[in-house]
Amino acid sequence: MKISTKWLGRYVDLQGISIDELADRLTFAGLEAEGRTYLAQGTNLVIGEVLTCVAHPDSDHLSQTTVNIGKEVLSIICGAPNVKAGQKVIVAQNGSVLPKITIKKTLIKGVESNGMICSLLELGVDPKTLTEDQKAGIEVLDKDAPIGQDPLAYLGLDDVILEVKLTPNRSDCNALWSLAYEVSALFDRKVTLPDYLAYEHIGQPTQLKVSSETTKCPLFIGKTIGELTVKESPLWMKQALNALGFKTINNVVDISNYVMIETGQPLHFYDAAKLAAPEITVKDNRLGIVKTLDESEIHLHKEDIVITCQGKHIGLAGIMGGDDSKIDESTHGIIIEAAQFSPSQIRHTSRRVNLITEASLRFQKGLDLNAAHKAVLRSTQLLIELADAKEIETTVVYGTPTTDEKIVKVHPQHINDLLGDVYPIEKVMEIFRVLRFSPKFEDQMIVCQIPTTRLDIEVAQDLIEEVGRFVGYHNLKGTLPLMPMTLGGYDQRQQLRNNIRSLCVGFGMNEIITYTLVNKDKTVEGVSPLANPQALISPLSDERQYVRNNLLNSVFETVIYNQSYKMKDFQLFEVSTLSHIDHTQERLALVQSGNITINRWQKETREADFYSLKGIIEQLLVENGYAIGRIRFDAIQDHPFFHPYQSAKVFLDKTELGMMGRIHPLLSQKLGIDSILMAELNLEPLLKTKVAKIKYNSIIKVPSVLRDVALVVEQSVSASQIEKIITEAAKPLVKSVEVFDVYTGEHVEKGKKSLAITIAFQATDHTLNDDEIQTHFAKIIEALKTQTGAILRA
Amino acid sequence: MENLLKEAQEALLKAQDKTQLQEVYNLYLSKKGKVAGLMAQMKDLSPLEKPKFGAKVNVLKQTLEQDYAIALDRVQHNSILSELQKDKIDLTLPATKLKVGTLHPLTIVQKEIEEHFISMGYLIKEGPEVERDYYNFERANIPQDHPARDMQDTFYINMDWLLRTHTTAIQTRTLESYNGQTPVKVICPGKVYRKDDDDATHSHQFVQIEGLVVGEKISMADLKGTLELLAKRMFGESRVIRFRPSYFQFTEPSVEVDVSCHICNGKGCSTCHQTGWIEILGAGMVHPNVLKMAGFDAEKVSGFAFGLGVERVALLKYGIDDIRHFYTNDLRFLSTFTRFE
Repeated sequence: MKISTKWLGRYVDLQGISIDELADRLTFAGLEAEGRTYLAQGTNLVIGEVLTCVAHPDSDHLSQTTVNIGKEVLSIICGAPNVKAGQKVIVAQNGSVLPKITIKKTLIKGVESNGMICSLLELGVDPKTLTEDQKAGIEVLDKDAPIGQDPLAYLGLDDVILEVKLTPNRSDCNALWSLAYEVSALFDRKVTLPDYLAYEHIGQPTQLKVSSETTKCPLFIGKTIGELTVKESPLWMKQALNALGFKTINNVVDISNYVMIETGQPLHFYDAAKLAAPEITVKDNRLGIVKTLDESEIHLHKEDIVITCQGKHIGLAGIMGGDDSKIDESTHGIIIEAAQFSPSQIRHTSRRVNLITEASLRFQKGLDLNAAHKAVLRSTQLLIELADAKEIETTVVYGTPTTDEKIVKVHPQHINDLLGDVYPIEKVMEIFRVLRFSPKFEDQMIVCQIPTTRLDIEVAQDLIEEVGRFVGYHNLKGTLPLMPMTLGGYDQRQQLRNNIRSLCVGFGMNEIITYTLVNKDKTVEGVSPLANPQALISPLSDERQYVRNNLLNSVFETVIYNQSYKMKDFQLFEVSTLSHIDHTQERLALVQSGNITINRWQKETREADFYSLKGIIEQLLVENGYAIGRIRFDAIQDHPFFHPYQSAKVFLDKTELGMMGRIHPLLSQKLGIDSILMAELNLEPLLKTKVAKIKYNSIIKVPSVLRDVALVVEQSVSASQIEKIITEAAKPLVKSVEVFDVYTGEHVEKGKKSLAITIAFQATDHTLNDDEIQTHFAKIIEALKTQTGAILRA
Repeated sequence: MENLLKEAQEALLKAQDKTQLQEVYNLYLSKKGKVAGLMAQMKDLSPLEKPKFGAKVNVLKQTLEQDYAIALDRVQHNSILSELQKDKIDLTLPATKLKVGTLHPLTIVQKEIEEHFISMGYLIKEGPEVERDYYNFERANIPQDHPARDMQDTFYINMDWLLRTHTTAIQTRTLESYNGQTPVKVICPGKVYRKDDDDATHSHQFVQIEGLVVGEKISMADLKGTLELLAKRMFGESRVIRFRPSYFQFTEPSVEVDVSCHICNGKGCSTCHQTGWIEILGAGMVHPNVLKMAGFDAEKVSGFAFGLGVERVALLKYGIDDIRHFYTNDLRFLSTFTRFE
């Protein structure tokens, strides 16, 4: 909210308080002064009259002038095209400091100049408020401008506008009078408000009837002013409104705005003659059109609040009045409206019709229930003073303005306990007193009577906050909570997630975080997508319309992005939770692209493949306590994401975790990316199954014996089958089976492959001799032959 | 005899390799060598001179054999050294790189905060991102008509479910799960969502961390002390904080928390807009309505809560200029966060 400090100064004494002090004190009392604007700036300025004005002898655009500033006559060189003898002008004397320059006595092309004749632009006035003529030349003042006086005061530009960010609980300070009380409390200064209460009982009998047919308007105050004169507002009022950016129109309209600033209560004035009858009814549940002051036509929804007169729509309540009954030069009598409307309804309507007005902004923040009454009285006062108001009728009220003040209590010890410091009771009582809470001490409690303006004070904690913000928190000494010791730490899920992250980083992978919201296409296919993709009611865009039900589709975006920037060799992972109504699932996505180890001059470049990703998945599981024997990779038959022959479902025991392998070439083609290896795994089953504990087995001291064997088998025979046959055939002496070469091609029959395998034999209790090994080796060969048709290669 | 010794020793010293040394050996120490020749002269000596001469020759022979052994060591060592010259490599060629990955910067900041509080006995609590309107708003003391509940600001899935707009939803769930029992000391991190168009300073998805402590006589001073430690941990030992009164539905009293600028040490710079302070946290004393709704006796216990945006901390800590970097996942960006700190 914008605050004119000059205007504020009319109600509370600001003498001797600098703008810095005012801004700081407000900020640390919770009314953040986040900006300030000087309407104009300049020292040593004076109003002068141009006596003579002739062309500079050595210049075609400069003028040589003499200017009377009262105490002396200055000779000034002026570059403005519009300077003329006889003008009243703004003179910056030598030593004057303007926003961009400091004025000194100088020689301009050989002629002495003592000062400068100024444009408003040079005084730092906002160019938006100036005409093209004003921007192009010096400011020419009215003929009656007093020579020798301060031009800024004369123009009403001696004002600083503070931009105060009001928190929602302090909407009361939208009323300048309330803010004056706040400032008076902070600086212990006196508040003097206009004597509006004196107009309480003025009024002759009235015909006016006001009523409301909706609960969204609990209060409507009306008043007829039978006769008044529409004319220009006085200078002080125009300057005050202009300072805050209001356009001034005429005295009557300006008064409604002026009173709104003072009391926070938006008012509407109807031209009485333009209404069919002095009857105003507030309604909702109306359809049709309201034609508003800005000449736009608003189509009503049934929840909108509308002001009616004999069934005719005369205003969009709380937002803008109707065009048909607006005040103009011909207006002779008016009806004043001061009402309360549902803040949320005003907010909804104003947003829907995209009409945000000074009135709607105030209504949607909530108003003091007494503000309407105050505003009517103050308007009456100003209309009498400035618009010759006569034929004033009595005020008509629908609803009951609440004048009861709330009672809120707080125990002094509660204040100390909650803030964590000692606040002497006298100090606390003083704070509540300056806030006009009329504090009393009864039964150990401080009892406060809260003014109706302070909607935010409801419970003891609200009173404690008042103490806190008045005393300020700068002296509050930080302490740590004194409470029973507790054990901190990550739970099992968080620990597993952390472990996975650390391992992936160790494997050389970069962690990514992708958006949860995706487009519809990304929810259709994926690795076990959670059912029923959830759409948002009102998304930002189609691109972010759905809550994702799988991870890889999002990860693809990262792959596309990085590959398009010529980064081809990378490994990525993301751990994220898929969230659905009443159901969540934590998942891990992995990607390998291009080469995973690169050392070209050593010829150690290794391209990612099925096995490199398989290794990562195995190791992630093993390191978290899931023994390798529990992990299985089963071929995927048919999935649109995965290569039909280089992909697998990953199982832990009998539970499917997800899928891994090479991207289907058709998909990578569709995405426009190079082939990648990828996986998406559900982490939930890991949290539900047992993990192995670390257990020491004594080291076997007897040596193991290695035997190599080369076999030719059908292509379809898998390495794991052979491993199993070997292990079974010579149980329990086979310690390990390792495939060290796979070969197809020359010397191997088509459709077959050659496998070279190292078998390690070991007994726990003795060194195996040749005969033993030979016996078991023969058993193995026999088993392989009968079970797979393997042929031993020479 | 002396001459022979001198001559042989010089020859041993001169020998450069095994072959030369063998020649020297053959010449002096072999069965037909010069030392053996000396022995042969013995037969011409008188019985009296023989033992004396024999002893001298033996000393000579032993001395030379020792010298020979030393020379052998020397030439062998030299020969190995010259062999090794073949192994000479260019030490400046690139190393075999061990590529270590990176955690996402948001994870780094989140973990740093989590670990800080874990060391003080806090638990980490999480909750669903698709959340009930009830836990997100109602229980956070945000009434039905409040602007924050408008469609304009919140991603609704239907009337009852939405994408949580703040991690306060985790706090309200957590409070409920404690069944009115204290102490509560938790940190609630998580992704949250608001209807903001993405630009350099706004993101429709971001990460929040909130903290919550409930117990007997928990005070604003406790909140200040707790946040002072956090500010120092995140932005350096010399940081101080200040409280500015503010307003949040969840807390009363409420404050905004500024940390003295870590770039200029509070002197004023572009990062802190010349104020010397950076607004980082919102905080306050848990509103009694919140405590009551969750089943706590608001007359007997009190609590504090605070919240911060992880992106904002990361932007400030690492000098990142655009919040969208966190979700674009450009590898050149991610690779920056590669060292212990």
